[in-house]
Amino acid sequence: MADLTLDGVRKSFGETPVLQALDLAVPDGGFCVVVGPSGCGKSTLLRLVAGLETADAGRILIGGRDVTRLPPKARSAAMVFQNYALLPHLSVARNIAFGMEIRGTPRADIAARVADTARILRLEAQLDRKPRQLSGGQRQRVAMGRAIVRDPQVFLFDEPLSNLDAQLRAEMRAEIKALHARLGATALYVTHDQIEAMTMGDILVVLNGGRVEQIGPPEEIYRRPASTFVARFIGAPPMNLIPSTTAGSLAAGAPARGETLGIRPEHLKLAPGAGVEATARRIEPHGADTFIQATTAEGVDLTIRLPAGNGVRAGDQLPLLAPPAHLHHFGADGRRIA
Amino acid sequence: MTFAAPASAPTSATAAAPVSATPGVWPRLDRVLMSAGAWMLGLLWIAPLLYAAWTAFHPSAYETRFDLLAPLSLENFPLAWKQAPFARYFLNTVILVTSILSVQLVVGTLAAFAFARLRFAGRGILFGLVLVQMMVMPDILLVENYRTMRMLGLVDTIAAIGLPYMASGFGIFLLRQTFMTIPRELDEAARIEGVSLLGLIWRVYVPLAKPTYLAFGLVSVSAHWNDFIWPLIVTNSVSSRPLTVGLSIFASPDSGVQWSVINAATLMTSAPLLIGFLLFQRQFVQSFMRAGIK
Repeated sequence: MADLTLDGVRKSFGETPVLQALDLAVPDGGFCVVVGPSGCGKSTLLRLVAGLETADAGRILIGGRDVTRLPPKARSAAMVFQNYALLPHLSVARNIAFGMEIRGTPRADIAARVADTARILRLEAQLDRKPRQLSGGQRQRVAMGRAIVRDPQVFLFDEPLSNLDAQLRAEMRAEIKALHARLGATALYVTHDQIEAMTMGDILVVLNGGRVEQIGPPEEIYRRPASTFVARFIGAPPMNLIPSTTAGSLAAGAPARGETLGIRPEHLKLAPGAGVEATARRIEPHGADTFIQATTAEGVDLTIRLPAGNGVRAGDQLPLLAPPAHLHHFGADGRRIA
Repeated sequence: MTFAAPASAPTSATAAAPVSATPGVWPRLDRVLMSAGAWMLGLLWIAPLLYAAWTAFHPSAYETRFDLLAPLSLENFPLAWKQAPFARYFLNTVILVTSILSVQLVVGTLAAFAFARLRFAGRGILFGLVLVQMMVMPDILLVENYRTMRMLGLVDTIAAIGLPYMASGFGIFLLRQTFMTIPRELDEAARIEGVSLLGLIWRVYVPLAKPTYLAFGLVSVSAHWNDFIWPLIVTNSVSSRPLTVGLSIFASPDSGVQWSVINAATLMTSAPLLIGFLLFQRQFVQSFMRAGIK
């Protein structure tokens, strides 16, 4: 097992910069989730660590060893691909054994390791099947099996759950976390899904346009987003961002700071006799909670998250108040002030 | 490959029918005309083969006389077999088509992989030249090829018949197109596991392109099994002559035209391909579909 360090890593494709001076440190056994919109460079980051691309500048260290110029096989990093990347003509057992066969591992060892892995991943009954005879979740487990048998220092996951349906995704999230806890290997996990990001990572990296917006534990990023981008990207529904000039008495009692005020939908309060009046336009029931889209007299759109059974209907006037303790302040450059 | 036509003609007729579905009596008439046309074409294609089969299995007296009750006979076959060294011709043809196909597969695989997945200077130009090979009719090059073979001292050898065809532009093109459809993730997953370049081709690309190999193999074998003009020119002895040339010499007027024996020989020489195709017809058609050749 080993820690993973990226030190000033840069990459561009032709004239297009994809990653700009990226620094990242994942401690031994850590689970780091890289999240960002498509095209933010998160997949490139993963491919650089895997050795499928070569960095233009900077260093990549796995367990203190500089692997920046090493070929993929010398890096002790195993990767789980988005589309599983299983060889369709080989059985599950041979897909798992593929790397060991290439490296010339003795047959008896291969059989033992494949059996072990199949037991861990509950694939014993599927070992003789071909990938096309498996369900999406089983394929995903085979792909993880191929990574596990290598006993790598670093696991790389490239949006591994994006092809699964919502329920299976939730199960696999738990399964990957459990597996990670059991194996204790360092993991770098790329996703565009902020739920995966929030629930799985010890460390969250929010990437935007090839730059790190913020690095930290998920709760910290949720509680204190470093920029308006992070504020909108992490959390669903996204944080309300209001230009200070049109906030009116919404944030009554808070000192006016910065260009933009932020307030999470669940922190907006109904306060008769205080705050601003807003007209409810659309009610979105989500089971336990209801999301309400409303517009203030100044023309500011807000999303409010209330427990179900609140009795609000479209067209109602809502007195809204943002408690100062939950306000976020952002400067003209979109960075957090306080 | 004329023998494939009767099988494919009715298929195209049924495929065309739904397209021309107009209301009223017309669709039915349309259908009737279509299938009648398909049957006509099919019969036209297979007529020579039927004639050959008829004469080969009947005594020579029935060469030009059709009589359902004519006595069946197998004597034309041993007669033909004895009159010319067909065993040797068979051997020559088998050596010829297998050596052409095996070299084509090796060269084609390596070249196709390079064109599909490697980046190197002049790739576009080189691939353009490969395509040009597909557009030049081989017959135009007869004289030039003959000069080359004479220079190499290979005239009248089996190698001389095969050599001009061993780097098949068609094969390279076909395999390249197939290789390009193979997901890059598979390639990358194998590279992370530490596979070498040749190992990558052998373990990932070749197994996934199996239908294409089968389809190309069929095209190549039948083309070179049936090739006539170039072997006729470049060979002049029994030890190198393939079946087609042997058969034409056997059937030339100076050995006396006896259709029943000639047709028995014709059936014998085309039988392996015919039987092979009929046996594997389903697999061949499927692999043609999968390889995208129709």
